Order: sequence, then C-alpha cells, then structure tokens
Amino acid sequence: MKSKYLNILCLIYAAFIFQWVGCTSSNDSPSPGTAESDVMEQPRIGLIMKSLANEFFSTMQEGAIQHQSANQSYELICNGIKDETDLARQVALVDEMVASGVNAIVIAPADSKALIPALRRAVQAGVVVVNIDNQLDKSIMEQESVSIPFVGPDNRSGAKMVGSYLADQLKPGDQVAILEGKTTAFNGVQRRLGFEDAARDAKLEIVTSQSADWETNKANGLTISILSEYPNLSAIMASNDSMALGAVAAIKSLNRTDQVKVVGFDNITAIQELIRNDIVLATADQHAADLAVFGIEAALQQLGDQNAELLDVQTPVDLITKETLE
Amino acid sequence: MQLKTAKHFALHHAGLLVVLGILTLIFGLGTDSFFRFQTLGVIANQIPDLTLVAVGMTFVLIIRGIDLSVGSTLALSSAALGSLLIDHDQPVLLAIIAAVLVGSLCGAANGLISVKANIPSFIVTLSMLEIARGLTKLITNSETKYIGSVIEPISNPISPISFSPAFLFAVTVVVASQFVLRRTVFGRYCIAIGTNEDAVRLSGINVVPYKVTAFVLCGVFCGIAGIFHAAKLSTADPNAAVGMELSAIAACVIGGTSLMGGRGNVSSTFLGVLIIATLQTGLATLGVSDPIKQIITGSVILIAVISDALRQRWS
Repeated sequence: MKSKYLNILCLIYAAFIFQWVGCTSSNDSPSPGTAESDVMEQPRIGLIMKSLANEFFSTMQEGAIQHQSANQSYELICNGIKDETDLARQVALVDEMVASGVNAIVIAPADSKALIPALRRAVQAGVVVVNIDNQLDKSIMEQESVSIPFVGPDNRSGAKMVGSYLADQLKPGDQVAILEGKTTAFNGVQRRLGFEDAARDAKLEIVTSQSADWETNKANGLTISILSEYPNLSAIMASNDSMALGAVAAIKSLNRTDQVKVVGFDNITAIQELIRNDIVLATADQHAADLAVFGIEAALQQLGDQNAELLDVQTPVDLITKETLE
Repeated sequence: MQLKTAKHFALHHAGLLVVLGILTLIFGLGTDSFFRFQTLGVIANQIPDLTLVAVGMTFVLIIRGIDLSVGSTLALSSAALGSLLIDHDQPVLLAIIAAVLVGSLCGAANGLISVKANIPSFIVTLSMLEIARGLTKLITNSETKYIGSVIEPISNPISPISFSPAFLFAVTVVVASQFVLRRTVFGRYCIAIGTNEDAVRLSGINVVPYKVTAFVLCGVFCGIAGIFHAAKLSTADPNAAVGMELSAIAACVIGGTSLMGGRGNVSSTFLGVLIIATLQTGLATLGVSDPIKQIITGSVILIAVISDALRQRWS
C-alpha cells in the first residue's frame, strides 16, 4: 500500500513536470503574439498596477498603453490585482514578470512594506525597478539593503492643498471628519497627514478619522455612521475620490447635502461631474494618466544608461475646483 | 503495480489533466517564457498556502460541512506569528508552534460549535470569518507587520530544484491526506458521514469526534498556510487571504469534490489548485486585461467542472 502512495507522489510531480514538456521545441521558433525579430531587441517593461476596477489605476494604465503605442520603443505588459488588498497576488506578479524575462518593472505597490522583499529579488535578478504611486517604506528598504527610486507626487502637500481650499469655506472650530485610505498604504497615511496639516492651520476640529479602505461602499456605510454620530459635522475629507463618492451618496441619503461639504483626491471622471454641480468642493489631480508614464520613462532612462543614479522624481499635483474645470 | 497505479491515476484525473495540459500548451505557445523552468518554480512556490487550505477544505466538504473562515484563520495565524517574532522577540520555533495552535483552535471552535450545537457550519464559520479577521487586525494594529528574513527560507526556492520547502511540504501533505482519506478508518468514516450521516450513526458510531477532527484538521492546515503566507511576503498582512475561501472551494469543486458531502479526493483538489495557479500565471504573463482574466478564469472553472461531471457519467 505504501508503494502505491509513493507512486502517486511521483505522479503528482509528473503531472507538474507535464507543464514544461516540449520546452525545446517552443524556444526554437518565434512565438506568435510577441512579434518579429527586430522587436526582440526592444526592452520589455512590466507595469504592475493595483486594482484596475479603480478608475484611477485604469486611467494610469491607459496612459501607459497610449505612450507605448505612440513610441513603439519598448514592449509593455500590464497587470493588476483584483482588489487593493490582494498583496500575495501582487508579490506573485512580480515573480512572474521576472520569470517572464522583463527588463524593467514599474510598480504601484499595494503595500509599502510587503512588496519590498519581492522587489529586492527582482533587482537582484538584474531587473530595473521603479516605484510609482505609493511610496515604498524607506527603513525597510534599508533593512533589505535595496534602493528603489520613487517617481510620483507628494501626496501630503496635495492633500494639504485640498484641505486648505476647504478650510477657506469654513470657519475655525467647524467639525470635519477624515476618511482614510488603507492604513497600510504610505500614500493613504500621507494624505491623512496633509488633511490634518490643513485642519490644524485653519483650526478646524477633526472629530474622527477612520479608514474606509479606499472603497466607495465602505465609505458610504462609514459616512452614515459618522453623520449620525456628529450632527454638526461641516465637512468630510476623503483620501480618494472613490470614497468621496460613497460619502456623497451617504450625505444625500440623509438629506444633508447643504450642510456637509466633501473633498476628495485623484480627480476621477465621476467626481468632476459632482464638482461642476457643487456637490463636491474640490479634489486633487496628480495626473493619473501620466503617473505610470513618468515611471516608464525613468525605467527606460535607467535601462539606457546603467550608471545613471537612481533618484526620486517628484511629479506635479494640482488643485481641481469648479473654476479650474471650466 | 506502478503501471496500474499510473493508469488508475491518469484515468481518474483524465478530465483535469486534459484541462491542465491544454492550458499549459496555450500559454506555452502564446509566450516566450512560459515553458521556462523558472516559471514552473514561480507557480509552484505560489501555491503552498492555497494547497494546504484547499486540502483542509476538502476534508470539511467531504463530511458535508463548509469552512468559510479559512482565509481569516490563515491571516490570524500569520498575525500571531508576526506579533510573537517582532513585538515579543520570541524564537522562531515557538512562533511557528503558536501559529499552528491558533489555526487548530479556530478549527476546533468551528467544529465543536457547529457539531455540538447542531448549527450549520456555514453560519458558524461565517462568524469565525469575521471574528478571526477582527482579531487579526487587533493584533497587527491594522498595519502590515514586516518580519524580515527570519522566516524567508521556508518559501525560498532551494537550488537547484527551484521548489521551496513550503511547496515540498504541501505536496507531502497532499499525498499523506490522500492516504488518510482513502486508507484509514478516519478517512472512510468521513466519507461515510458525508454520504449518509444517519446510517453511520445508526450503526452505532459516534460521528462527533470525526466531524470535529475534520474541522480541526482544516484549522491546522490554515495555521501552517499562514506561516507559509507570511514567509512568502516576509510580512504579516492584516488583509492576508481575503476571499481565499472561494479559491479553495473552487479548487475542491474543480477537483470533483461534492458540496453535498461524501465525495472528494485530495489529489484532485491539488490538480484544481494547479489549474487555478497555472491560469493566473499564464494570463499574467500574457498581460491579458483584467475583465478578460476574470471571464476566462470563470469559464475554465466551469469547463473543468463540466468535464468532471461528464467523466463521472461515462464511467
């Protein structure tokens, strides 16, 4: 009986090995889909995004795809994860991209710490890695003795800009609430700090600051609870526009649109409509469509000149209000 | 003997092997890199946690239960591991034992409450899903806990075979569980209980310890999976394995395990895990757009289940 199970063990391994039978034959001939031999010389860049269900990231990816088709100087492989918390999948994507032989990885990490070991492995395998959107944790990078450049906006000053614009419409002592992003994400923390900076400067009272995990639905439920707890609330500062949408729906459902102002971050299409209609006051545009492109350009530069220094690049953040939209 | 077993295995898993083969062929021809040895390693080292959870789920499904709390239990174990290692400076071995213990306690709670109080395991484990996730967030303070390289060797590939210790362990668990399920009194009783619990009870057998053990086993596997998960990420992640119960159930169902109990195979579940992982990696290597990925994944699960159903009918 024992030998039978040993056999099964062997067979399972065999089933596994089954996966790469015929590898010699396929390597000889050029594979379909990856095009002709002259393109083979072009660098391949893997773009690893967060949830593509979030318009912010799909816009970012669209921008990258357009940039690629306009330039044709590199090959682009785009991948995202199903939701913002699917860390394990994103780590796997890094490994998969390295295995598939990309020259560079441009990544919007779902977590500022957990992705570092995987990215360290990529760097060790000779892949150029550029960090966009959500900045990786500096101290952990030091521990892992790896240095990855960050190409992106300063979220804290962006959030402060939005918060200050809101504060101009309120008076000192007014109550505000913050909807935080994921507490594990660096940009989420930066935006909260930026909102707090603005509130402190204008002497607004932050009555509560809670995480809705970047999600519309969670923000909706959370806002309803906050509004019933704080009947005198004057404004909600949402760390992204998806959550601002959830907050707006909650405020509407309680008929308090006139009393509670909302600001967001990201400038997604849905929020622009609300800003034009005075339902949302302001948001910040960090030029989503260009964010991945900035990262790709940094990666290409690095690939072109291996000795170039890896430097962080700060990209612009603009305040979006009804006036700027017109 | 060897030939006969091989034939038996191939026949029994024909549908799944064909699906896996077709997938491999498509991805292999569609990309430059899929047939590389490295890709195989990437797939293998991704699946130990899902494999263990799916094996545990197979036992629970066979006794006609369900465990929705597997993802949260996994997260709680890895949080316990991370907290002991980082916040309390405990030795690795102790942290690992604690993680397994946490998993088994969750499993025991699921089993005892659902069996003793005769409440559907769907409800009990749904509550456990929330409780364990809440505890995880409490322990980690809702922040990713960076553990570092202490536990990394568990999921780092061993050169030159490019498989990690975690993967080798998972495969061993698959084989051992298959043996337990098919060749031990415990395994046979589990199948009997899932098929007709009343008949088993009427023949004078106390079903309670067997059913509870199935849940505890699932919890233990989740605990070990939690260690593997933490090792893979070098972090304890409060959002680890959200929704993993669905992947685990999908793997079981692809492998022909019945949600109605009494029918299931650990080796088929493993093939189910392989199909899911191959699909994920292959689609990512191709860079297929996200909506298309989901549609294809759903379709492949459906095709695998249909092909299994047809095979059942023909044999």
